Amino acid sequence: MSTKVNNTPQSAGGNSLAMSLVGFALVVVLAFVARWAKYQVYGTELPFGIPGKVLEYPLWAALIGLVVNGILKAVKLHEPLKGGFRTELFLKIGLVLLGASVSFQVILTAAFGAVIQGIIMVTSVYMFCWWLAGKFGLPDTLRAVMSTAVSICGVSAAIAAAGSVLAKKEEITYVTALVIITALPLMVIAPLIAQAMNMPEPVAGAWFGGNVDTTAAVVGAGTIYGETAQKIASIVKQTQNALIGIVAFLLALYFSTMVEGKKEKPSASIIWKRFPKFVLGFIVASLLYTFGVIQKGDAMDAMMGMKDWAFCLAFVCMGLELSVGEFKKMGWSPVIVYLIVTVFNTLLALVVSWVIFGWLFPISAV
Amino acid sequence: MNISEDWLSVIIAFVLMALAILGVIAPALVKF
Repeated sequence: MSTKVNNTPQSAGGNSLAMSLVGFALVVVLAFVARWAKYQVYGTELPFGIPGKVLEYPLWAALIGLVVNGILKAVKLHEPLKGGFRTELFLKIGLVLLGASVSFQVILTAAFGAVIQGIIMVTSVYMFCWWLAGKFGLPDTLRAVMSTAVSICGVSAAIAAAGSVLAKKEEITYVTALVIITALPLMVIAPLIAQAMNMPEPVAGAWFGGNVDTTAAVVGAGTIYGETAQKIASIVKQTQNALIGIVAFLLALYFSTMVEGKKEKPSASIIWKRFPKFVLGFIVASLLYTFGVIQKGDAMDAMMGMKDWAFCLAFVCMGLELSVGEFKKMGWSPVIVYLIVTVFNTLLALVVSWVIFGWLFPISAV
Repeated sequence: MNISEDWLSVIIAFVLMALAILGVIAPALVKF
């Protein structure tokens, strides 16, 4: 730690921490509002026979986050408070807690299918997006960031890819906004389609995990559809997330040798560096449950309650963190590319997940 | 010392799990 004293930055740092805590407190309050909203409509039936359960807390939390996002930006408080908006942190805490309720046998079965699904989905969707973005004349760096985001897991994949290809900051912000804007409606529409198709929960979970772009929305869609769907969706998405490191390495290799013409190759250590470490926490939690250290009862109920709170905080932050300012600068071509690829991704994932989880490796119980 | 968000999430989750196992956090307290 530095021993130098500089009043101004320390004071600014103190203010920044205080404002981040205020931001976090705001997120907690909004999560309570989302929970309250959920109980108002739960169990009711909406027009066209749509069950009120569709309006589960992920939707309320994200919508409330979006509304407050707009208000905070209008009164210029969004920037000072945004240190407390930590979608990824809350989501990862929730996922590790979720691991404490999943048998390791299920992880092994689901992950095996998820690896096959992940390889098919990531390569097909990546190649299609890269090709289509090229046809629309998008720059290579934006093509790489977008292709990784849409084929793997949205925001964190976009950031990992951007680091590998040295993309511009606005390209990351732009793709991040695209990811959230498309993932939010998909989070609600995908469970509705699954229900209309009478899709079994494991298949639906695998479909959400392979199709919806950001992990938060995957968990949201699974939560809306059912408990088993939530677990399978989380496992499938985390397996796909684990491929980030490999893609980041291959991208760094391609850009440094083919695009920039450098002779030295990037280190393979990037694979571990980019590996999502919280997945290890999820696996350890599952092992603790499998070997009886964590048992069903009060402790498990408390963990699952905290898991839901953590997810709710993440969904509120997802709405709060959406930024659409970059769209004006970049035009509509990338939006068209992204939407076409999302439709391709959705349909391909539907077929692949049904073949793998409905036929090749069916999961009967979780 | 810098700690990544991934490891921080794992630490927080396991602390919460330990508190639940020890009975410090009761289910009613965190019912969603």
